[in-house]
Amino acid sequence: MLEGILPDTVYIPLANKVGFSRLNEIRLRADKPVLLSAMGQKFFLGESGACKELNRAIFATKSMIEEIVFRASECSIYSVNEQIKKGYIVTSEGVRIGLAGNVIEESGALKTMTGFSSVNIRIPHEVKNCSLKAYSSIVKDTGILNTLVISPPGAGKTTFLRDFVWQLSERNLAYNILVLDERGELNIGKGLGLFSDVISFSSKKIGFENGIRSLAPNLIVTDELGEWEDMEAVRYASNSGVNIMASAHSDSIDSFVKKQAFKEILDEKIFKRFVVLSMREGPGTLEGIFDENFSRLMRF
Amino acid sequence: MKWVLIAVLFAACVLIGWIFSMRYKKREWFYSALIMFAQKLDVEINFSRERLKKLIEAMDEKNKKNLYGLDKNYLTYLDGTAELSQEALFKNIQFLKADEKETIFLFFRSLGRSDVMGQSKEIANFSKRFDESLSKCSQENKKYGSLCIKLGVIAGLFLLVILI
Repeated sequence: MLEGILPDTVYIPLANKVGFSRLNEIRLRADKPVLLSAMGQKFFLGESGACKELNRAIFATKSMIEEIVFRASECSIYSVNEQIKKGYIVTSEGVRIGLAGNVIEESGALKTMTGFSSVNIRIPHEVKNCSLKAYSSIVKDTGILNTLVISPPGAGKTTFLRDFVWQLSERNLAYNILVLDERGELNIGKGLGLFSDVISFSSKKIGFENGIRSLAPNLIVTDELGEWEDMEAVRYASNSGVNIMASAHSDSIDSFVKKQAFKEILDEKIFKRFVVLSMREGPGTLEGIFDENFSRLMRF
Repeated sequence: MKWVLIAVLFAACVLIGWIFSMRYKKREWFYSALIMFAQKLDVEINFSRERLKKLIEAMDEKNKKNLYGLDKNYLTYLDGTAELSQEALFKNIQFLKADEKETIFLFFRSLGRSDVMGQSKEIANFSKRFDESLSKCSQENKKYGSLCIKLGVIAGLFLLVILI
């Protein structure tokens, strides 16, 4: 993973001394130490592995960061400019690289980003069975309940969704699942099982409409709802009789219900289950499952 | 025996002249292929937005033949197995001048570094410079290419006269 994208000065200690299995994030900032995030803790990256001492840390440079972005785009920035405009690049291995740099605007619209000065590399994980505790609350004899997975960034929403799709497939429930992978993060490895179609890099609106029309799914799984037009897509799917499993950013159910963008679909009670994850005991800690009235069904 | 030796010497002189003339021909073919290469890249980047590696690999072999390995050398950089340097890029290419190498090197270094519009403008800019180089190479080929063969023939005839 990340070989050929990270420079050797960063990749070799990472691969040989740290390993990617427990790593959640790698942050490189121009002229600042390389920072690692693992199991909810922060470390510097040193030549002999993860360390806490600044004087042992490897420092990133601007040219290093620009080369990472170039390599992550498979040496073709123009081919990922639509992603860059949204602030990230997703590599062919499903690694999402968040970007900071100089934004170029033209006629009020974002044209591109140049002069990259920071990257935040999020390492995807396949954590088998991480959705099992919530599975019976979501899948009933009558079908799958519309579910929203809620957590702060980096707390395991995408991993949960990926595993949930895999669990459905494992139980040989021949649901036709449409995975709308807007950021290319859900469809990595073989984690999506046998019964899923994948539409990648499409907006929710276009993906939901085209997917429902052409693939007749029983369930749509998608990541990170948040925009107003996402709510329209959810409503469209719900009215079309298609179940939805999605995720959203929030640190708790209480702060989530205050989000204006979700107000209408929450009032309409489109989602029947809310799964709340946190970083309390590391990414993917299940905090609780709530019903459409936000009453807790399960505490963990 | 004497006539055989004279024939061999004459042929050798013509061959040397032809080898010198090939340098000019190669330069012309090379720039012609490079312009085609740049134009094809421009079209594909605007249309399919496919990755550089795939675009270059999918290009017409006949045209790539006249790049004398430049495309393959660049692909090793895209694969991450070599650095992008003039030495690596122009490995096995001896017929280019230093300033020409510099321009072509800058062209390859600019590939894949900007959005579609920026990339397209860069390619158009370099294509203009390659066009100028091509017309210069064509003139040189007309002027010196045929001259080399003629000189080879004259040298052969000169030897022939001396030996007879």
